[in-house]
Amino acid sequence: MRKKYSKEKKHRDGEIPVGSFSDIAFLLIIYFLVATSLVKLKGITADLPTGEKATQQQSSKTPIVNLRGGQTFFNDKPVTTAELEARLQVLNLAEADGNAKVIMLESTRDTPYQSYYQAMAVISEQGGVIAIVDEGDK
Amino acid sequence: MARRSNRKRRKPVPVPVASMGDIAFLLIIFFLVCSEVAKDKTNLEVTLPLSEYVEKQEASVAARVAVDEAGQIFLDGEAVGSPKDVEWGVRAMLASTVADDQRHVQFKCDAKLPKDTFEPVLKAIAEAGGIIDAVGEKQEE
Repeated sequence: MRKKYSKEKKHRDGEIPVGSFSDIAFLLIIYFLVATSLVKLKGITADLPTGEKATQQQSSKTPIVNLRGGQTFFNDKPVTTAELEARLQVLNLAEADGNAKVIMLESTRDTPYQSYYQAMAVISEQGGVIAIVDEGDK
Repeated sequence: MARRSNRKRRKPVPVPVASMGDIAFLLIIFFLVCSEVAKDKTNLEVTLPLSEYVEKQEASVAARVAVDEAGQIFLDGEAVGSPKDVEWGVRAMLASTVADDQRHVQFKCDAKLPKDTFEPVLKAIAEAGGIIDAVGEKQEE
């Protein structure tokens, strides 16, 4: 009985143990350091028309970029990436509005994603809107 | 002589550790606010396309679409059967969005894949109303 009584007394004036709080906190920090990724991926933002816009008729004057294998054509003339950029710069796509911003992108079946990506990157960089040309659209 | 007695009186000073917990919790709050929990569970090993126009993507993405070397399509880390599944999945994810900034969809694809594999997926994202953030690497000039 005596022992029990003395134990109870000890508890009464005891404080909340906070000594291990920092350990818990540091464990949480380690968890977040391991589990999270602060790496920002690099890439391009491409604006492709949605379903409603895709049904719109494009005029024959809409510029067209053709990808045939590894070769790039702008309005049926072969161009390098730098030349394509220069041609699009003349069109001042960033300032244009509506359909004037649209650049059609057509490609053959063997076109690798690398060529496609470069064309999309140039058009997006110049502020153009990419309209993918389907075989059924022609 | 007076100097010597002063030296003798010095006692080891205890390092104050009472604030360690507060500092640690502040760091936790910092990580909670700044970090973004990775949703992409596939950790795909793909050869990314190169371009000199790539920039760091700052916008947070609503969905992640990836196509691996074998042409398998993934939506937020889960394998899907066809581009149509991507369209419906992305459409559902974008249903609650209100601003253009919330419509970004990350697209990761192997650089060697042919048009038949990746173009239907790009179209599916566009049809669902997503703005495509195509992941690539900086090409050195």
